[in-house]
Amino acid sequence: MATLALSLPAAGQATAARGPRTADGKPNLNGIWQVLTTANWDLEGHAAAAGPMIPLGAIGAMPPGQGVVEGETIPYKPEALATKKTNFTNRLKLDPEVKCYLPGVPRATYMPFPFQIVQTPQYILMSYEYANAARTIYMKDPGPAPIDSWMGQSVGHWEGDTLVVDVTGLNDQTWFDRAGDFHSDALHVVERYTLRGPDTLMYEATIDDKNVFTKPWKISMPIYRRLEKNVQLMEFKCVEFVEELMYGQYRKKP
Amino acid sequence: MKRYSIVLGIAAACLGAPLVQGQARVKAVAYVVPRTADGQPDLQGIWNNATITPLERPADLSGKAFFTPAEAAAYEKEWLQQNNRDRRAGEGASDVAGAYNQAWFDRGTKVVPTLRTSLIIDPADGKIPYSAEGLKRLAAAAEYSRMHPADGPEDLALTDRCLSWGTAGPPMLPGPYNDNYQIFQAPGYVAIVVEMIHDVRIIPLDGRPHLPANVRQWMGDPRGHWEGNTLVVETTNFTGKSHFRGATQNMRLVERFTRTDANTLTYDFTVKDPATFTKPWSASVPMTKAAGPIYEYACHEGNYALPDVLAGARAQEKKAAGGARK
Amino acid sequence: MKIIHVTLAGLGLAALMALPATAQKQAPAPRVADGQPNLEGIWTNATITPLERPPELAGKAFFTEAEAVAYEKQMAERNDVDRRPASVQTDVALGYNAAWWDRGTRVVKTRRTSLVIDPPDGHIPALTPDGERRAAARAADIRLHAADGPENRSLGERCILWPTAGPPMMPGPYNSNYQILQIPGYVVIFIEMIHEARMIPLDGRPHLPSSVRQWMGDPRGHWDGNTLVVDTTNFTDKTRFHGASENLHLVERFTRTDADTILYEFKVEDPATFTKPWTAQMTLSKTGGPLYEYACHEGNYSLVGILSGARAEEKDRQK
Repeated sequence: MATLALSLPAAGQATAARGPRTADGKPNLNGIWQVLTTANWDLEGHAAAAGPMIPLGAIGAMPPGQGVVEGETIPYKPEALATKKTNFTNRLKLDPEVKCYLPGVPRATYMPFPFQIVQTPQYILMSYEYANAARTIYMKDPGPAPIDSWMGQSVGHWEGDTLVVDVTGLNDQTWFDRAGDFHSDALHVVERYTLRGPDTLMYEATIDDKNVFTKPWKISMPIYRRLEKNVQLMEFKCVEFVEELMYGQYRKKP
Repeated sequence: MKRYSIVLGIAAACLGAPLVQGQARVKAVAYVVPRTADGQPDLQGIWNNATITPLERPADLSGKAFFTPAEAAAYEKEWLQQNNRDRRAGEGASDVAGAYNQAWFDRGTKVVPTLRTSLIIDPADGKIPYSAEGLKRLAAAAEYSRMHPADGPEDLALTDRCLSWGTAGPPMLPGPYNDNYQIFQAPGYVAIVVEMIHDVRIIPLDGRPHLPANVRQWMGDPRGHWEGNTLVVETTNFTGKSHFRGATQNMRLVERFTRTDANTLTYDFTVKDPATFTKPWSASVPMTKAAGPIYEYACHEGNYALPDVLAGARAQEKKAAGGARK
Repeated sequence: MKIIHVTLAGLGLAALMALPATAQKQAPAPRVADGQPNLEGIWTNATITPLERPPELAGKAFFTEAEAVAYEKQMAERNDVDRRPASVQTDVALGYNAAWWDRGTRVVKTRRTSLVIDPPDGHIPALTPDGERRAAARAADIRLHAADGPENRSLGERCILWPTAGPPMMPGPYNSNYQILQIPGYVVIFIEMIHEARMIPLDGRPHLPSSVRQWMGDPRGHWDGNTLVVDTTNFTDKTRFHGASENLHLVERFTRTDADTILYEFKVEDPATFTKPWTAQMTLSKTGGPLYEYACHEGNYSLVGILSGARAEEKDRQK
């Protein structure tokens, strides 16, 4: 396997269950990855349902999913749950994904598009095919985020063979999914990436936002390596595709 | 032994914290490029390519390939004065348009260290060698723009539409501000993060073929390999929509990255497009280590300008139509 | 002639039944590779035995062999009679004889007079008041809004779900065919109409979250001796099997009694609708196959015809 050819541990070290490693001895997360869940439609379990656009027929319909939330339901505060429901009703207008806005964290991880991890000792770059969103994980803490942003500031460290990423400085503009699950700018996300064999990453994210939820909650799912020959990220520059939607009303009439 | 040219400090774009960099003429010290763990020459770090040297040689410098140091200093002073003067005309629209001084931009303050009067190094006249057909297409596009400045979003610049900035290209050319890049390397890949607009060029080094010819992308499709210490990137599969300096979708680009010292990356590129240029042409844009960090440029998410430009145009038309009816 | 004695579990039926010997070229293995009792094969549950006992057979739970043969002959004649009267409308509606159907020609192999075996009178128990209310509302809705839109038509006409699929799996007007496959940890029932595959996991995993409802519910299986027991919950309120609500709890039992027969039993529990649970039973018989593709929706001209016909009739009435 290509990934195993990368680096062999120094003589004398036990190698049995360690998996592929980078030159600096860390689990090798390099490569192109993608989830297979329907988390981006709805983090909670959901039966299939008709979509919001009749002309799209089955193409626009929501597929079913068993849910990725531990404990099945997201622990909203009562008033926040009301907001989530309004969000859902108005999702065509309100879901930032419709407008090709940056997806934030953790949504970027489970968009139905691949992403590529470029792992160096000081930084781990995660480049997402969707809207060429990207974030750099600082492996050395640079201090508090200087400003809030859509993708936040990510600081990483290794706990054994698990990459732990602490994300702060997130603004309140993103959603967790297409079902209206949302957060405030107090959002704090801690992700954990652990290789389970060379082609599977087990992913967990703990969500903490005291303004919206009664307690922290967790999602988890596997992320699969894209194994096609010569696989690469391609462009999904969707800004162009939403211009008619967002600016068509200002277009000069013929 | 090689001699190295002057290394100049260039103000870091985003933080405003100046890079501390002495001017020095480095004598006969061979720079040994450090290596990444997998043996690639190490190009990693945060880089900035801001410069006041224009792509093409200005008309009034025709025939003059290089400044003398004194001329360069004078040029820089003059440039700064010109771009910082108060151009407000005192009346409506042009008052707003002319109200931008250097506080709003970060184009840099220096010419390139080679003191060349253009970024273009070939042809010798420092100008883009347009073919007749290329010029015709450019003129037609300019005419169309004049007639349809803002009918719809497609009439506006790619920057205004938050689709693509000149800093990303490729090729990667400095722009009005935030000419910042961060390079990452992992086995088999070089990744270039371009601050505007959070574009990431992921360049595979394994010799795989390009995408199929019918697949076209804004930033094309790059393939890299090492020639000694120089990263050579060949990019094809452009769309017709990026039209770099008028080029068609059949443009082919070759870029060369060489780390000449700890704080300098030389970046040379060659553009080929027989439908637009009479011959291939090349430019050289030095990149300098910068402090960083790279910020998030959420261009589209904050793009109030585009709908305002369009709505404004519609309002103007309405006003004009109302006036005509009287 | 061999007499095969079979003991049926679960119902307290102690009677031994003699099932006719079948000429077997090669007996199927009693177990599949991973040790599950073997249910594999292509099966049909087509039968002329009605769900509920006909009034003229009240009190009579079983036919004798002779009575069964006579009943079969009587049904065959009745279903093939020419019922076309003079009028054009009913000429079309009644122009279907046995050439068009394939309901089967035999009673169930047990020779029961109804599929319902409990209550012993062979009838579905009385509905609860809420069940009655819902049934009346539904009947009124069908009468008043026969074809306003697709939702007013049956699930079969809409090509969403056929009674052969259920669950429970009821014989239909034709193609009541099933293929059962078994692999480690699963029993898979592939249903010809409408190309449904019920994947029944045997590993004891919990049902789907209660917020997730499905047309065919969510099945979980386990082996009880030689009987596959399938527990299905998470129905929607749209399938309404004999008026059942979304809280229908269905337990099916599959027991292979010989090379060519599976005894299939199901118990319906829905306290919101039925005053007590009820059980029905039928036999699945080996059949030749193959299963065909039933591309129902892809060829669904009739739904369009029905709706546009209704619109045309309304227009005519307005004139």
